[in-house]
Amino acid sequence: MRWLVAIALLIGCSSSPRGVVLWHAYNGAERDALEATVATWNAEHTDEPITLVAVPYDAFADKLSSAIPRGNGPDLFIYPQDRIGDWADAGVIEPIEFWVDDARADRFTPASLAAMAYKGSLWGLPMAVKALALYYNPALVPSPPRTTDDVLALAHQLHPRGVFALAYPNVDLYEHAPWLHGFGGRVFDRTGAFSIATPEAAKAMSFARSLVTSGATPEDAQASLIASLFNEGRAATVISGPWFMGDIANVTWKVTTLPTVSATGEPAQPFASAEGLMMSSRARDKDAAFQVMDFLSNDASAIARAKAARQVVPNVHAWDDAALAHDDVLAAFRAQLDHVVAMPNDPRMRMVWTPYRTALGEVLSGRAEPGPSLDKVQHEIEGFAR
Amino acid sequence: MTIYSQLRDLAFAAVIALAIASAAFVSARDKDVAERQLALANRSAAALAAGQAAIAAHGGLVGPALASPAHPFLKHRAIREPGGAWQPLHDKLIYDAATRFDRDHASGWLLADGTGRAIAVVPHGDELAIAVTDPAKPAPYPLLVMIGVLGLALALAAAGALAGHRALGTFAGVAALAVPPLLWSSWLAASAIALVAAGLALAQRRGLTDQLADGMRRHRTAVGFVAPAAIAMVVLVVAPFVIGLVLGFYDHHQGTWTFVGIDNFAEILSGGGRALDDPLNFWFILGVTVLWTVCNIALHVTIGVVLALVLSRSWLRGKGVFRMLLILPWAIPNYITALIWKGMFQGEYGAINSLLHALGVSGVSWFSSWATAFSANVITNTWLGFPFMMVVALGALETIPKELYEAASVDGANAWQRLRHITLPHLRPALGPAVALGSIWTFNMFNVIYLVSGGKPGDSTNILVTDAYRWAFERGDRYGMAAAYATIIFAILLLWTVFGTRIVRAKGADA
Repeated sequence: MRWLVAIALLIGCSSSPRGVVLWHAYNGAERDALEATVATWNAEHTDEPITLVAVPYDAFADKLSSAIPRGNGPDLFIYPQDRIGDWADAGVIEPIEFWVDDARADRFTPASLAAMAYKGSLWGLPMAVKALALYYNPALVPSPPRTTDDVLALAHQLHPRGVFALAYPNVDLYEHAPWLHGFGGRVFDRTGAFSIATPEAAKAMSFARSLVTSGATPEDAQASLIASLFNEGRAATVISGPWFMGDIANVTWKVTTLPTVSATGEPAQPFASAEGLMMSSRARDKDAAFQVMDFLSNDASAIARAKAARQVVPNVHAWDDAALAHDDVLAAFRAQLDHVVAMPNDPRMRMVWTPYRTALGEVLSGRAEPGPSLDKVQHEIEGFAR
Repeated sequence: MTIYSQLRDLAFAAVIALAIASAAFVSARDKDVAERQLALANRSAAALAAGQAAIAAHGGLVGPALASPAHPFLKHRAIREPGGAWQPLHDKLIYDAATRFDRDHASGWLLADGTGRAIAVVPHGDELAIAVTDPAKPAPYPLLVMIGVLGLALALAAAGALAGHRALGTFAGVAALAVPPLLWSSWLAASAIALVAAGLALAQRRGLTDQLADGMRRHRTAVGFVAPAAIAMVVLVVAPFVIGLVLGFYDHHQGTWTFVGIDNFAEILSGGGRALDDPLNFWFILGVTVLWTVCNIALHVTIGVVLALVLSRSWLRGKGVFRMLLILPWAIPNYITALIWKGMFQGEYGAINSLLHALGVSGVSWFSSWATAFSANVITNTWLGFPFMMVVALGALETIPKELYEAASVDGANAWQRLRHITLPHLRPALGPAVALGSIWTFNMFNVIYLVSGGKPGDSTNILVTDAYRWAFERGDRYGMAAAYATIIFAILLLWTVFGTRIVRAKGADA
């Protein structure tokens, strides 16, 4: 398999075909949906065909970062937004606001388009949005918890039966973020400075700790453990994203939005990360490449992807489609998008994950207090950031 | 004959010198084009700002950005000729240049598309004068000059050989190739070529070149056999190693590399201003790494040798099956083993704690204290490491002559004495290199640390390689720091291999 990919890459790089080369890391249904959309384009535009190249996800970012500055690499690619800051600063990707007017911009939900913006420019068009939501097992909880107090009450009821009220990978910042934002904390303040050691963030950590001490949540749960707890009926609810559907087996399940934080009355807000279609700064024919971007992110293409691959698409009017509106799972993920915080595009965000994870591990196991731990995280990251 | 060997030596050095000169030409040409184009763009933009027409470039005066109310990152811009009327801006290069100037006040740069076009921005009131030059034709490679200089080099070398001053001839010939780089004021390349010339002349003086050529001719077949492996070594080992060494002296920030001398090493070795008991201090991590290596090797050797002794007994049945089973941990990819052990150490549902519960012992929260997390890592790596020592010991045991044991038995030596004075001394020569190799593997055992404890609790079980990884990928792409770390790790392991093997050898000589 890897050989095939390598050969495909070689062909994609060495010969310079007409048209637009697009790299993606999609598998399964998402890949089929993308290929189907591209086939309709290629049938109409024989002079500017799209060539799709599937590149393994784990090597994707490094390949792009090294290939594009040397004039190799694709014209377009699909990747999550978290590298936009790096690539924009290093001149790897092309700003596209020149081609985008308000009518095109209004195609997308504001948060998803804002996720593609960095330093006053637009660097891509959103294809799909990924955010956490609440999975629940109706056999254990007929009506899902709507507040965090509901979660604690549920724990009081289920804990004696050996069932967890809520399972989620609680030492990871990505899964902790709904509480952080629900308590009013952020990673960066409005000026772009780190605001990690704040009273709000400490309260969110204390709350996460209380979920562990009250027996609502298993301590130090990894993704694989969470899936097996849910499948064995030993976890009533799970915080996860669309990718969790593939892990569920033999239980009935539903999805809804995350509960409200009782202490603040604010909804828990996960990070929304958008997957964007971006253009290489060395694309051969940039106007033609933008035509392709425009086509692949229009409402018709989005509806096709949402139907075939159950992608949560950012196109506002795609959700007017009757079939999508009646898909309860997609509707729940769509509803969650109204209460999200856009994932920061700042390159410094990648320094935050591990120290924050370390601090969460220490606090949730009761070895450290939230306040001093957060001070340590902020101090450590500021020592490395430039 | 002299002429022939003289020309052979010259050809060898000329290839190197020509490569250096060509690289110097390309870099001098690129620099020259960039400077010329940037100067042109700047003059044009300044002219536009002064209300004149641009010189050999296109552009105009761009008005301030009008941001869309709904989407602040969408902007409308208009452009005008000096003294002309406003028109919508349809040139993306100029549009992006204006945005980039608004963002970081960059005033001029070369386009990255390889066309050699430059762009310059000069603010003029609230307008921006922007000029884009036409593509620049790079100067062609000076083929005739090079051929001429090469001819001169040949003549000088041949003349030297005929006059009986071979070394002088080649030195003058090769040094002649340094003249073109001098013309491009590339002092570095010129001195490098002069060094090559001097090196060749010295080698000729001592007859080294003739010896080498003679050896190559006599052992032609051997050279043919060695060449593929030698080339592979250079490409796969030497080149990455040298690049890694060099990168340690650079700092990487957003795709650009800056030379920083020994700053990276100073920051690492000084502990980055952290206390000695801070788990991010280099010396703390080094301590953990050394302890980790010592514990592992001790356990690997002890368990491996004991199992080898058991397996070598003649009365044991089903030896083949046991051997195969004991080698299995070694045969499974180590990251898979590490992930399995990580799952087994899990606090509430892991196999190990379940076993402890079944035995009536309360479970251990493995990753919540340093000692238990470190032990979990060591247990995993012991599982991975003992089969290698066992195989080595088994092989060594086969080579011990039976007569020694028989003679010892006749002399009345008991089992302990036979082990102490026959078996162990015979194992030492085989185990020495195995320990050296095993300690290097363990010192750099990234997979186990990263996957099992992941540094928990609080980064305190990291070893040097896992911290180097974090410099490269989790602290803002500081590849220079990671490379410096790798160099330090290499230096430590080099010292250990040199002196460690010496200790082993000395002890072997005693026995």
